[in-house]
Formats: sequence, C-alpha cells, structure tokens
Amino acid sequence: MRQLSVILILLLSSVAAWAQEDIIDIEEITVLGTRPIRDIGVQQTKIDSVALKENISLSMADVLTFNSSIFVKSYGRATLSTVSFRGTSPSHTQVTWNGMRINNPMLGSTDFSTIPSFFIDDATLLHGTSSVNETGGGLGGAVKLSTTPTDSEGFTLQYVQGVGSYMTFDEYLRLGWGNHRWHTSTRVALSTSRNDFRYTNRDKKLNIYDDEMNIISQYYPTERNRSGSWRDLHILQEAYCDIRQGDRIALRAWYTNSNRELAMLTTDYADDSDYDNRQREDTFRGVLSWDHLRSTWKMDANAGYIYTWLGYDYLRDPGNGTMSVMTRSRSRINTIYGDVKGEYYIGNKWLFTADIALYQHFVESRDKSIILQDGDRGIVGYSQARVELSGAVSAKWSPTDNIGLSLVLREELHGTRISPIIPALFVDALISKRGNITAKASVSRNYRTPSLNDLYFLPGGNPNLRSERGWSYDAGISFAVNNIERVKINGSATWFDSYISDWILWLPTPKGFFSPRNVKDVHAYGVELKAGLWCDMGKGWTMDVAANYSWTPSINCGEPMTPADRSVGKQLPYVPKHTATINGTLAWRGWSFQYKWCYYSKRYTMSSNDNTLTGQLPDYYMSNIALAKQLHFSWADLSIKGCINNLFDEEYLSVLARPMPGINFQLFVGITPKW
Amino acid sequence: MKRALLILTLFATACMKWEYGLTEDIDISTSGRGLFICNEGNFQYGNASLSYYNPETRAVENEMFYRANAMKLGDVAQSMTIYDGYGWIVVNNSHVIFKIDLDTCREVGRITGFTSPRYIHFLSDTKAYDTQIWDNRIAIVDPKRLEVTGYIEVPNMTMEQGSTEQMVQLGDYLYVNCWSYQNRILKIDTRTDEIVAELTVGIQPTSLAMDCNGKLWTVTDGGYDGSPYGYEAPALYRIDPTTMSVEHKFDFKRGDAPSEVQLNGARDTIYWINDDIWAMSVDADRVPVRPAIDSRGTIYYGLTIDPVNEDIYIADAIDYTQQGKIYRYTKQGELIDEFYVGIIPGAFCWR
Repeated sequence: MRQLSVILILLLSSVAAWAQEDIIDIEEITVLGTRPIRDIGVQQTKIDSVALKENISLSMADVLTFNSSIFVKSYGRATLSTVSFRGTSPSHTQVTWNGMRINNPMLGSTDFSTIPSFFIDDATLLHGTSSVNETGGGLGGAVKLSTTPTDSEGFTLQYVQGVGSYMTFDEYLRLGWGNHRWHTSTRVALSTSRNDFRYTNRDKKLNIYDDEMNIISQYYPTERNRSGSWRDLHILQEAYCDIRQGDRIALRAWYTNSNRELAMLTTDYADDSDYDNRQREDTFRGVLSWDHLRSTWKMDANAGYIYTWLGYDYLRDPGNGTMSVMTRSRSRINTIYGDVKGEYYIGNKWLFTADIALYQHFVESRDKSIILQDGDRGIVGYSQARVELSGAVSAKWSPTDNIGLSLVLREELHGTRISPIIPALFVDALISKRGNITAKASVSRNYRTPSLNDLYFLPGGNPNLRSERGWSYDAGISFAVNNIERVKINGSATWFDSYISDWILWLPTPKGFFSPRNVKDVHAYGVELKAGLWCDMGKGWTMDVAANYSWTPSINCGEPMTPADRSVGKQLPYVPKHTATINGTLAWRGWSFQYKWCYYSKRYTMSSNDNTLTGQLPDYYMSNIALAKQLHFSWADLSIKGCINNLFDEEYLSVLARPMPGINFQLFVGITPKW
Repeated sequence: MKRALLILTLFATACMKWEYGLTEDIDISTSGRGLFICNEGNFQYGNASLSYYNPETRAVENEMFYRANAMKLGDVAQSMTIYDGYGWIVVNNSHVIFKIDLDTCREVGRITGFTSPRYIHFLSDTKAYDTQIWDNRIAIVDPKRLEVTGYIEVPNMTMEQGSTEQMVQLGDYLYVNCWSYQNRILKIDTRTDEIVAELTVGIQPTSLAMDCNGKLWTVTDGGYDGSPYGYEAPALYRIDPTTMSVEHKFDFKRGDAPSEVQLNGARDTIYWINDDIWAMSVDADRVPVRPAIDSRGTIYYGLTIDPVNEDIYIADAIDYTQQGKIYRYTKQGELIDEFYVGIIPGAFCWR
C-alpha cells in the first residue's frame, strides 16, 4: 500500500518535480501500470521503442504491421502504405508529428511508408474516441509520433549500415551532442533499392508461338518486380535547450527527399524499359516548441511549417529514343501551423486542459498541361487555401484513487465549415490494485471535413460535400501484473462500436470522371485484444512477447445506391475482419532472437463481397525472424543483425495486382563509438 | 510441448489459398448468337473480366477469360471487336490486345507494344488500326503477325493530351473521334495512312457511329465546370463524312452528359444515353420529347442494341466496386431480363 501511495504521488506530482530539475525529461513515466490523470479512459497502444529501433530499413508502416492490430494496406515495398483503425478508412486516421498534424491536406491520409521508424522515438496509437484528446477528424483514431532528446552528455555517434536482397542498401547516421542545458541531434537515413525481386506471376502467362504465330505453349512467367526502385533520403535535425528551470525550447526539422518508381502491375504486358513511372517528393517539416512548466500548470506553444512538393511523371519512349510525357502532375503544399496548449492542476484530483491549433494550408495542384481550343496552353488543376482551427477544452477529475472521469469538448473550423461541438466522455475505474485491473469506457461524436481534393480536385471535386460524422463507443478492461518475481504480464480487451454517416466515396459521373459523394453509412464494431509477457528466465535469458488481435466487422449499412446494389450489409472492401500479430524476442548475453508474425484474414475487393475469382484476396500469414548480437568494447559498442523476411516464402498480395516479395534477407552492422 | 511447437509451426507456415493453373473447357459454340460484355474492372487493380450472355436461353457466364485461360484479363478491358471469327479484346492499362477463340474464350494470340490502347478496327487480314489515349498516334498493327507495324501521328496533339477513340469506316476512309480534352473528328485515308481532313465539333466527342445513309454521328459531353478547355452545352451531331461538315446539330442542356451513340441493326435508329435512354430516327430533325427508357436512378455506363431484334441492353455499374448489372429491354421499353456481370460493364460485342 505504501508503495502504491508513493507511486501515485510520484505520478501526480511528476510535473511539479520535473520543474525543479535542471535536466528535464518530459517523457511521461509509466510506473507499475498506474493511470496518469491525463490519460483517463484513453485506449492507446504505445509502440515499444525497441520495435521502433529494430532495424533501419523499417518504415512506420512496417512497424505498425507487426506491432499493432490496425490494418496496414501496402501497395508494395516502399510504396504507398496507409493505416486504418477499427474498420474505417485511411483518411479517418489522423497523424501528428511532435504535435503537428501531418496528414496530406489534399488527400486527407498519410503515407506511412515515407516515415522511417528510426526517426521516431515515441509512437502512440489513440484508438477511436481517444483521438479527440489530440485532434478532431480521427473517426478511426490517431497516430501520435514524436522525437525526444537523448539524455547523454558529450558527443555521441551511431552509424548503422544495412544491405539486403534486391540490391537494397540502408545507411543511418546519428550525431549527438549534449550537456546539462543543450542537446542536439542530427539523424540521416538513406535507403536505396533496385527492388527487383523475383516472383512467379500467376496473373498472366507468356506465349510460345510457332512460325505461323499459333500458340504452342503457355506458362506463368517468373518475373522481376519491374519499375520498383527507390531512393529515399531523410535528414532530421533536433536541438533542445533548457533555458531555465521548467522551460525548454525545442527545434525539430525533418527533410525528406524521395524518388520512387511505381512498380508495374502484375497484369501489365508493357516493356518496362519503354516507360518511366515515377513519384518524387520533397518535404520539409519543422516545429519550434516552447514548454513552460510550473508546479501546478503547464503551457506549450508550438509553431511549425510544412512544405511538400510532389511530382508524378509517367513517360514513354515512343520509339525515337526520347521519353515523352504521358502524365506530368505537380502539387505544392505549404502549411503554417501554430498551437498553444495549457494544463492546470487543482490538487491531485482535477486537471483542466485547453488547446487551440491553427493550420493554414496553401495548395496548388497542376495535374495536366493541355493545348486549349484557341491554341494557348492551359493547366488542369486547382489552387486553394484553407484555414483550419481546432480548439479543445477538457476537465479530468479523479475523485478517488480508483475512479477517473474526463470530458473533452472540441470545436473545429475548416474554411467556412464549422463543425458542431465534438464531445468525448471518458471514464475509468481501478477495479483491483492487485493486478492493476482497470476498466475504461468512452463515447464521442466526431466529424471529418472533406479533404481539399474532395472539394476542389479538377475534374470532379465536389464543394457541396458534407463532413463525415460518427459516433464511437468503446469499453474495455486491462490488467498489468508486475509484482511477480521476474515476470511481467499485461493484457487488455476492448469492445468498440462506431457509426459513420455520410462516408465519402469517389464514384464516376456521367461525364466519365470520378467525383466524391456522401454515399455510405458504415457500422464498424468489434474487439481488440492485447497481451504482453516479459520474463527473466535466469542465467541471463529474457523473453519478451507481445500479441495483438482485432476483430473488425465494418458493415455498409446505408441505403442501396440503386435497386441493384448488393453492398448493403456487407463488409467494406479491403478491410479484413481479423488481424493478429505476435512479436517475440528471446535474449541472452547480448544475443537476441526475434520472431515476428502477422495475420490478415480474407479481404473482399468488391463492395458486394462476391466470391468471384478476383473478388477477394486470400488470408495470409507472414513470419520474419532476426538474430542480433551486441558486442561491447571499451572503445565502442558494435552490433550485427541478420534478418529473414517472409520466412516461409509465402506468395501473398495486400492489394490486387501488386506483387509482393518472397523470402528475403538483410544484414545490418552498427557501431557506437565511446569517446 | 512438442505438440504446442507443432501447432505453432503449422500456424505460422499456413499458406495462402490461391488456386492457380486450373483452366476450364468452355464451349459456347452451340449458343449461336450471343453478347460478349467487357467489364472494365477498377483502374490499377487488374480485375477486368469478360462475360457472355445467350439471348435465347438468357444464360450468363462470367469471368470467361479467367476460367478459360487461368490468367487475368488485365486492367481496364476497354472494348472488344470480332474479326475473321476471332474476338479481339483491348485491355487498356495492360497495354495488350488479346485475340481469343470465340467458342472457347481461349487466347490464341496477343498484340503488345501500345501506349494505352482503346479500340481496334480491322481494315484487312493484315492491317488494323488501334486508337490510344496518352498518345498522339494511332497504331497500325498486323493482326496476322501480331505486331505494331507503324503509326499515324495526329497533328496538333501532344502525347500528354493524346486521345483518339472510336472508329467507323466508309469506303477507303476511316473516321475517328478525338475525345479527352479534344474536339475533333479525323478522316484518314486507309490507303496511305494519312489524315486527310478533320472537323471541329463540340468539346469532347465521346463516341461515333455510321448510319444507313452513310452519315456520321457523334455526341459531345461538353466538358465540365471549371475545365480550362471549356464547358458548354453538349450536342449530338449528324455529319456528312464526304464533305466533313455538320449537317445537323442537336443541342442539349449544359450539364447534360450524353454518351454512347449506338445504332440498331438496320442502322436507321440512333440510341444514346443521357441519364435516360433515348432513341431517334436517323432522319429526324429534333430530339424526341420523351426518352425510350427512363433512368432507374443510376448512372448508365454502357449501351448496345441487338442487331437482330433491336432489344436494348443497358449496363449499370452501380457503385463501380461490385458486379455490375445488365438490363435487357424490348424495343418498346419492356424489361425482359436482368443479370449481373463483372465490375464496371462498359463495352459490348455481338457475336
């Protein structure tokens, strides 16, 4: 009891204690599974830092695939990868980086394949209602990504080099310096790959002809993934300064330069040497933060800027040796961001928070260059600006040690659209201190404003779209047993239920192009299960296992679009009903063996869930293993790691007609000198 | 412990349940007349398919190409043409034209090397034209050798804006409508493979037909609101192909989206989609007041007329991500059959 009291005091007074230290660590400390008042009722998944730093070739899409129950839809290696919570769509997932929302304002979604996991120090998934604490529009949830300073002093250096199948090379360098006041860090990651993995293409056959051009034989070709190479460069600069007790200024700047070919479909009979199909991106994200902390209150102010240039080129050699433009699309996004947050504690029972965030987007989309009827040149595209304001206040109350209540009220303004109040109510209760058995429940009403492409894209943008809106409910129970000798066990079970109305879909118009419409009502519900086990088996052996499972029916429950519509009552396309992951590590004296496993159930590719030959993607299991060794010398720490991905060489597809690699290998070596 | 390990191993290594390589012996030779339906599928998803409908028995068979060949038809099945007893299916984003046996749906050959093929028109056993989008050239192909043998370059058209579409022939001349961000009808001398004349019509002529009087028909969609190319009221045009001049222009309202000009077997009645299904004598001077068939509250995506009995077949793509539906009406507008086919049924081909 005395221990628990100490823990609770530590937790509630952690903010105050932090203010009195010269060296400030603003990371939240989870002590024996107790509940920070800030997180009352919140359903969240914190991605283990070991998983984030597992190997330098991983993107956040890869990490989330094996470490969470959310669905990652991947179009291939280093290709568009989106994530969706609880049977919703990728645009219902809000993503923040150091507090700044980084969803593409044109598309509404985020490509997680462009976020290297080594650049993320803290990743938290906020499921359903819990996203309202962070931002609006997360009808499925939110992904919170952030970077944090190291606590080391003096110079630090880490260099990791990786080589993998298909001429894949990864390099990662981190330079750091710190003292009691300053910390700086520079991270550079460069990833290149030819990505020309071999696979048996079972979507097409090659013909063997006789002299009269009669087919005498056909076979499934063993092909290489064509036109799939990439070169991604990321640079992240951070600087942190503790200017005086309780005040810190942080600057984080992240630059991405990406040049990726778009791999040909399995059903494409073109000669890849005639084509250049490529997407290029230059993105800069910068956030300047000021944290001000006092004994009973805290204030954060952030200013940020995002610049994104996206270029898509589809070129073909018409036979004269020069590449001619078939499609040349450019988009440029400038976003200015500002945010102020405040927290105020009254004793240890009340916490009041308020925040207001401003985003000003300037978007220019140039999709096609054409010759007009009068012979002049014209551009098919649009140019728009939109201001987005999101403000929230919350009251969190913990009347006893065992009970917590939280109410969040959020309001959003996007352009001239004002959302109704977004309310979220959370409650949790510590049922048993022995085992930290906690029950949580929450309910929220949420809205998502159409993206700029939804509203203005030419052709098809629909300025009359309504915001998508939804109700979300969830309830769950969790436990964490940490007091058994050398064993830690935790687990949780959560039921969720959500209704989303006015779901936006892009559908063809009588003119032939696509246009978004509010057409669907969706009922998404299900269960999420999580379990974790850490065990010290003695003689230097430790074992760490984490598992996730989710069951996510996501049902179209709207009105039939026409009398012939058979999609009502059916699972949404590309949303698996079942997903599961297991991630286990066995460690012994600097050696570690890791096994990762994930499972996606059958996904329908048609809204009517027809069992036609191309109407579904079969379920699949994926297994990866890795063996690593840490070597410690007086002059440096060395690491070496070997990975085998797709261990059982499974043929699988995440999306129709997008080939995926079979078994492949990676080797990483790293050095961290000791100065 | 061993049992647990065994279960774990089985669990981890269980494989996907693909079924590959199973070809089906299809035989539709006894059906006589029939209707092939090209289901485009979703762009970039490679799920185009081929359906076949027997108007006599009202039996429908779906995924014929996949079943017969144990491989996919490809990405966006744009059109199908029958020539010399074979079917030629143009699969736009797969950059291929398949030649199939009409009785078995088995592939008997293919032509590749296109930029983005749309339609094929046969001039002889050894010469055909293939129109394209994203290319300012019409490909000349040798169907016998299954290869591209040359190109007809369209003047004042860039590759990025390239769009040649449907073709009809009158004597030695072939007529082509230029559609996407275009406004022209081209006249090509098939003897020299040269464009000898062109006619400017309205914005984006979507389809083309030749009636019993040797007149050319096209319908424009008028573009869209905000288009830099322009936005105007669409129109139906009757054109004298000899002089390349507009004989009659039938105006629609701005915002209408007429498409799919089709003719009956006698080629004396013209049909098109404009929300509803419309029919008009090729000699008429004005558009009828009432449609032939009312809309069912959906966007009709394809249209064909039975060349024998003038039954009307309309394709409904519904939400474009499920099996589309075909409605069959009599000439008098009585619904006599309906059946599901593949995703986005767009083009028909009568056998």
